[in-house]
Formats: sequence, C-alpha cells, structure tokens
Amino acid sequence: MKEIKAKLIEKIGGSFENVSVKDHDSNRLDFHVDTNVIPQILTFLKVNMGYIHLSHISCVDWIEDGEFEIVYIVWSPTEKLKVFVRTRISREKPLLPNIDMIWRQANTYERELREMYGVEVDGLVADKEFLLEDWEGMPPMRRDFKTEEYAQNTFWSRDGREDAVDVREEIIKRSREEIPDFAKKYSR
Amino acid sequence: MREKATTLYFGPQHPGITGNMMIRLKVEGDTIVKATTEVGYLHRAFEKLQEKRNWLQSFTMMCRFCVPETDPMEELYARAVETIEGREVPERAKYIRVMVLELARLASFMLWYGGQNGSLGLYTMGQWSVGDRNYILDLFEELTGGRVYHMYIWPGGVRRDLPKGFEQKVIKTMDYLEKRLGDYDDLMFDNAIFKKRTQGVGIVDKDTAVEHGVVGAVLRGCGIKSDIRIDEPYEVYSKLDFEVPTSEGADIWARALVRRQEARQSIRIIRQVIDMMPGGAVYNKIPNPQKWKLPKGDAYVRVESVRGEVGLYAVSDGGTMPRRIHLRGAAYVHGITLLEDVLVGENIADVSAIMNSLGTCPPEIER
Repeated sequence: MKEIKAKLIEKIGGSFENVSVKDHDSNRLDFHVDTNVIPQILTFLKVNMGYIHLSHISCVDWIEDGEFEIVYIVWSPTEKLKVFVRTRISREKPLLPNIDMIWRQANTYERELREMYGVEVDGLVADKEFLLEDWEGMPPMRRDFKTEEYAQNTFWSRDGREDAVDVREEIIKRSREEIPDFAKKYSR
Repeated sequence: MREKATTLYFGPQHPGITGNMMIRLKVEGDTIVKATTEVGYLHRAFEKLQEKRNWLQSFTMMCRFCVPETDPMEELYARAVETIEGREVPERAKYIRVMVLELARLASFMLWYGGQNGSLGLYTMGQWSVGDRNYILDLFEELTGGRVYHMYIWPGGVRRDLPKGFEQKVIKTMDYLEKRLGDYDDLMFDNAIFKKRTQGVGIVDKDTAVEHGVVGAVLRGCGIKSDIRIDEPYEVYSKLDFEVPTSEGADIWARALVRRQEARQSIRIIRQVIDMMPGGAVYNKIPNPQKWKLPKGDAYVRVESVRGEVGLYAVSDGGTMPRRIHLRGAAYVHGITLLEDVLVGENIADVSAIMNSLGTCPPEIER
C-alpha cells in the first residue's frame, strides 16, 4: 500500500501544481487541489491511474471559514485505494467545473449540489429542480438555513400536541376506567 | 409512416414502481424513445435533521434511509463513527453484525424475488417469498424488538447479545430457506414467461456500467467481479469463505442469476459466522451521549447491500453533533441517469421489471 501511495503522490505532484497531500493509516489518500484543475485531475486518475469508479461527491459547509468543501471520492479496483480529491470554494459565489463527461452519474450529484447548497456548476445540462419543488430563498442544506423557523412557517401543529394532555388521564375521563396501580407511577 | 409520440407518466403511484417516484416516458407505440425521472416525493431531509442532533440521536434516523434493507445503513453509521473516533469494537459484536447484515440481505432478496416476478405479472413468487421473509423478520423481532427498523448495530458494537438459543433458531430458518430457494428456482428460472420477458431486456454492458458508476449485482451481471465485502473487507468478512457470482448476459436474466446465487452465499456466510462466533462482550460503551464529542475528522465507509455499494461520508467538527452526514445509495446512481439511458428502446411493459432489476429504491435516492 505504501508503494502504491508513494507512486500516486509522485505522479500527481509531478503533473499538477498546488497539490497538498494528507496520508491516512488505512487505504485512503487525500489530495487538496485548486478548483479549476478538478476535471483534469479526475480524468488523469481515471484514465492514467485506474481509478475508474467515482464513489461519491459530497459538500461540507464550513460557514465559519466562509467556504464550501467539495470532496470527490474515487476508487481503484486494482490498487484497492480510496482517493479523496478535495477543494474549497467561496460560499458567496460558489462555482464548480462540471465533471459529468467523465462519469455520467456525477450529473445527479451536481444537480443536488446546485439545489441544496446553491453551488453553480459550469456547463451543467439538467433540469433545475431535483428533489425540491418551487423552492425559493436560501438553499436548505446551508448551515445558516433556519430549519425550525422554516418548519414553523410552513407547517402547522395538530390539535392535541401543544396542550400535552396526559394520555392516561384522558382515557380515564372518556372510559371511566381506573388506572391499575402498577401504571400509576408513570402518570404525571 | 412515423408513429406519433405520446407522453406517459409512470408513477408516482403505480403498482409496478419500486417506491414513490415518477418517470416521464415519451413513447412511440409501445417503445420508449425518452425517459426522464422525477424524484422528490420522498424527500425527508434526514441529512439536514441529523446535523441538529447529537451523534446517538442521529443514529436512529439511519435505518429509515431505505426500508427494504435497513441494517447496512446502521452498520455504515456505526463504522463511520468508530473510524473517526478510533473506537474498538468487540470481536463477538463484529460476528453478530455480519450475521445481521446477511440476514438483512436475505430478507431483501426475498422482497426482490417477489418484486421482480410481480413486475412481470407472476404473482405466486411474491406470495411465497414475502411469506418466507417473515421468518427472517421473526428472528429480527426476537433479537432487536423490531421487525423492519432494528436500531441494533450502533456505535461501539451491538445493542444487546443474542437471546438464549437464538443461533439454533437461525440455523433452522436457514435450513428451511435453503430448501425453499430450490422451490423458487423451479417457479422462476424454469418459467418460460420469465425467461422470455427477461432475456435481452434492460441491458447494461460493461462500458455503460463503468461510465455510470454501476455497482452490485448489476455490475456482476455484466461479468465484472466486484464486491465491497472482498475489495474492501469490513467487520469479519476477510475471515469468511464465500464466492462472488458473476454472469455475462448483462440483462435482467443475468442479474437474476447472480442474485439467485448470492442468496445462497448469504446462507453460507450466516452458517460460518454462527460456527466461528467467539464469546465475550458485544458493546464498547460510549460516554454520555449528550456530552459525547467526536474528534475533528471525516470518514467514508462502504457496505455491500443487495442493491450494491452503499457509502456514508461522515464529517465531525469536534462537537457533539455531526457536521455532515451524506449517504451514497446504490439507487442514487442506478435510479436516475442509468435508468434514463437503459429505458430508451425498451417496451413500456418492461419498465417496472427493469427498475426492479436495477435495484431502484426511491427513499434511498432522496433521503
């Protein structure tokens, strides 16, 4: 595994600039790269190094840094190594290059990124709506989206929830049944 | 003379569909010329809600991501948390986890048997296999208290040890199911209708598979030997002896042949696990969940479900709640871009059979 990682670090380091590496104990290797080289580095990994499987694309909102971190996870079935390609983009005007010509399924991930985080993907051809319908305002997966406020403004409470009626007392009132002794201790 | 194209809406409520989603089909006669998926009927924002809950509360949502097979999600979450924290899991718990995962796979295979045949109008199989699945759910009920949602595999191990005599019950159920799988073969694979409706239908060849990031039985059905349990073994899979079946046809029939063998392999694994299971503790206790902080870091773990590779990316910012939980479902890849491409040129009547064969699970797509 060490030789595989060393070879990959050398190849990536030799072909791309501004790449920093973080090694892990397990079969995992992280590369931090510039956003604009993402398509090239992923193509290089797929075509030249055998990392043919795009396992995942994820986004993490680091609101305190004013940035989104985008993580591409690729897997090589021959080397048995997981490679994380990470990049950071500004939260203000988040823009990513499109990679759905490298892996077709990336299209779905990019649609979700656009909808849930408001990350624009340059050259993405897909329906604007994915999971949400007629959504306006802040993309909901951003950390500053106020979930509780949204729920209160959008939905309403069912009767009987706010007053928190004791179920057992209600049963007695309606059925005139006595609570057995063993159940009384749970009563409020 | 060119036939006029019509738009058909397949779903969101349809007896042949695998959950609430819609496919807009443009058809000429009975042939599909364009398919567009529309999802959004089952979005429950689990991942957002998990960011507002502590690491243990967040675990209770995992099993709800995909109803037919709930345990792989729990195992993923547990393993992601353990990887970030560096928490050891007792050896016995690892064996129990594998047993539960394989039981879950078997239960999910039973649903697939029913769904795959039902989508072709062959309803007897569904009556049999869903009935037999109940015997597995009985085991789950005894072990975990729940039939479908178990919340059993949690960070640090499993929630409780096996009840007395549970192993023998599992063995007896396996004996019964092994016999029944023979009956299923007679009903399914010797059936001329099943053969005719599945051979040459819903083809996913090797190039398409790699281009689309296809996983699981769909990948093995086009001849590529790939299985997370072998490629990146987790729990105790590296100590177990089992085979990864493949098939060359790349159609629904080929994938059915693969799954038929896989169900038998699951039984084989369960028998081994029960034989090899050591004694000892099953849970490495976590601290007070309200104060339980994970170190800053992230983890990406994968599991082999019946639908294929399911992954979970978990990020901790050093606090008591997850910064990000992101599930990668097999259906997320199979159910949108791949399905849209595969359906072109197929017959309207085969849509639900193809969806079943690709393992499309809308709750897993939307989360």
